[in-house]
Amino acid sequence: MSNFFGLLQNENMKIYRRSSAKVMIIIMLGLILAAGLIIKFSGDQPKDDPHWKQTLLQENKELNKQMASVKGNKQATDYFKKSIAINEYRVNHNLKPEQGETLWKFVEDAAGNLILVISIFTIIVVSTSIASEFDTGTIKLLLIRPIYRTQILLSKYISALLFTVVCLITLFIASWLLGGILFGFGGASEAHLVYDNGTVYQSSWTLAIWKDYLLNCVSLFMMVTFAGLIAAAFRNGGLAIGLSIFTLMASSIVVTLLQKFDWVKYVLFANTDLTQYTTGTPLREEMTLGFSLAVLAVYYVIFVLIGWAFYTRRDIKA
Amino acid sequence: MSSNAEVNKPAVRLEHVSKRIGRKTIIDDLSFDIYSGEVFGFLGPNGAGKTTTIRMIVGLMRMTRGNIYIQGHSIKGDFKKAIRQVGAIVENPEMYKFLTGYQNLVHYARMIPGISKDRIMEVVKLVELQDRIHEKVKRYSLGMRQRLGVAQALLHHPSVLILDEPTNGLDPQGIHDLRNYMHKLSREENVAVIVSSHLLAEMQLMCDRIGILQKGKLIGVETVSEFIEKGAAKVRIQVDDSRLAAQILKDKLAIDAEAPDETTIEVPVDHEKIPVVIDTLVISKIKIYSVRTVAKSLEDRFLEVTGGKSVE
Repeated sequence: MSNFFGLLQNENMKIYRRSSAKVMIIIMLGLILAAGLIIKFSGDQPKDDPHWKQTLLQENKELNKQMASVKGNKQATDYFKKSIAINEYRVNHNLKPEQGETLWKFVEDAAGNLILVISIFTIIVVSTSIASEFDTGTIKLLLIRPIYRTQILLSKYISALLFTVVCLITLFIASWLLGGILFGFGGASEAHLVYDNGTVYQSSWTLAIWKDYLLNCVSLFMMVTFAGLIAAAFRNGGLAIGLSIFTLMASSIVVTLLQKFDWVKYVLFANTDLTQYTTGTPLREEMTLGFSLAVLAVYYVIFVLIGWAFYTRRDIKA
Repeated sequence: MSSNAEVNKPAVRLEHVSKRIGRKTIIDDLSFDIYSGEVFGFLGPNGAGKTTTIRMIVGLMRMTRGNIYIQGHSIKGDFKKAIRQVGAIVENPEMYKFLTGYQNLVHYARMIPGISKDRIMEVVKLVELQDRIHEKVKRYSLGMRQRLGVAQALLHHPSVLILDEPTNGLDPQGIHDLRNYMHKLSREENVAVIVSSHLLAEMQLMCDRIGILQKGKLIGVETVSEFIEKGAAKVRIQVDDSRLAAQILKDKLAIDAEAPDETTIEVPVDHEKIPVVIDTLVISKIKIYSVRTVAKSLEDRFLEVTGGKSVE
């Protein structure tokens, strides 16, 4: 096992010693900074409302009226119920709603878009890690060691996923710090209110953000595995990167186009967005969280098996 | 080759190894042994299958039939144990250019348990890279990369060392050093060294035995001296009358001898027939002052065996 730790060290060294890894981290930090500045200087920060309790109560009256008007629509009713319950909780527990952008809201905003960027970066990292050794010929010296090819491939895959974790931690810290600098560190103690089955409770923002990261990473995880499969099977980094990023970008369009067919539920991308079961609505009514997880598992096993078979069986002619 | 090598177990054994890609047979039923303590040369024109054979020995390519054993371990069935014995450069020594020489060596050292930092520095000194080892490989010359390649192959004290075209890019001093080092490894540490090279003169100096490959078949495995002597050698004889001597050989033995000057004839004749030539001349009362075989170079012999095909 210590042997495998050495392999991970090797792959990590090869990822971070390349200048591309540094460039990726810098691009990510640049994007966070740009997003922060745009939000800070484009919208006006609304004025503080000293009578916020009255405002919230007023708002709830409006919401109740609207809810009555959409009777029968479960989705809309749920949304109104949630808003009303949270407003009531704020009034009862004296939790003033923060106006405009706050530290935590910024961290949350940064998550959605930057995880797509991190997906692309990780696809590049995993494809380069697996395929570039065939281009440069270093694969020959790599595979004539007393280590099975399976272990080599696994170490490359895990190291690429560790790169994702490094990016997520960087994203979290950088957006938290920038959020604090731009919108005030006072916002760090803001309460995070969760509505769950009719009751509202306070929970930690950190937990909520990481849950958000995790849910957003499902499609990252699948596409990185897909890129790994292409890189291992065709030994061509460009192909793996291009195909994976294209698929990632085209996925939502394809799913939307195919939405009316019932077999769309077996398409990978219909299942990668798990937030459809937490905060959204499922793509098709018959789909459940368990169903999606099962579909994802099947795709995952197929990707891994094909990539592994090609990587370990094919002759090295590079 | 020391004589006791024959009774040793072979360090590398190829048993009826064949490789087919599609319908094409790249390697056809190759069987031979390589012993500890010898330098074995792989010779053959390009496309003869030298590199394919080396790739099968180190497990980069699968064989279609047959098996290869390294120190008794099958490369197919017991890959880890077999490959643990091997240090190799396959074709060019491609290293990670964005890492330093030292980081490259650390990388390979991590893949085999028991290689200390001291051992890394030891091989660095051995290939005389200590001044530049912390520079990126990008900035190395071809010769330095070659030496770094040798260093990674030696890190784990392999008992079988495989060097594909090892003198590529080395200057004459580098070639000289490498040759001495290979001899030292084989003689003193009993390592089996396998080299392939197209530099035939180099092979003649480096190798104890050579195996000749042509079109995926093994034409022969011989010691270097056997290989050269076996062929039709030329004998240069100093006589009193070269034209007469040549005429006699033509009449009696049907050999076309050349007479470059008045007192010298050059007779193309097999090694074992030299006494017959001398007898014939003596009986015919030709005075013989000296007899000398003109040794053929490995290159002459090689071209002869492979049918005059260009080596490169």
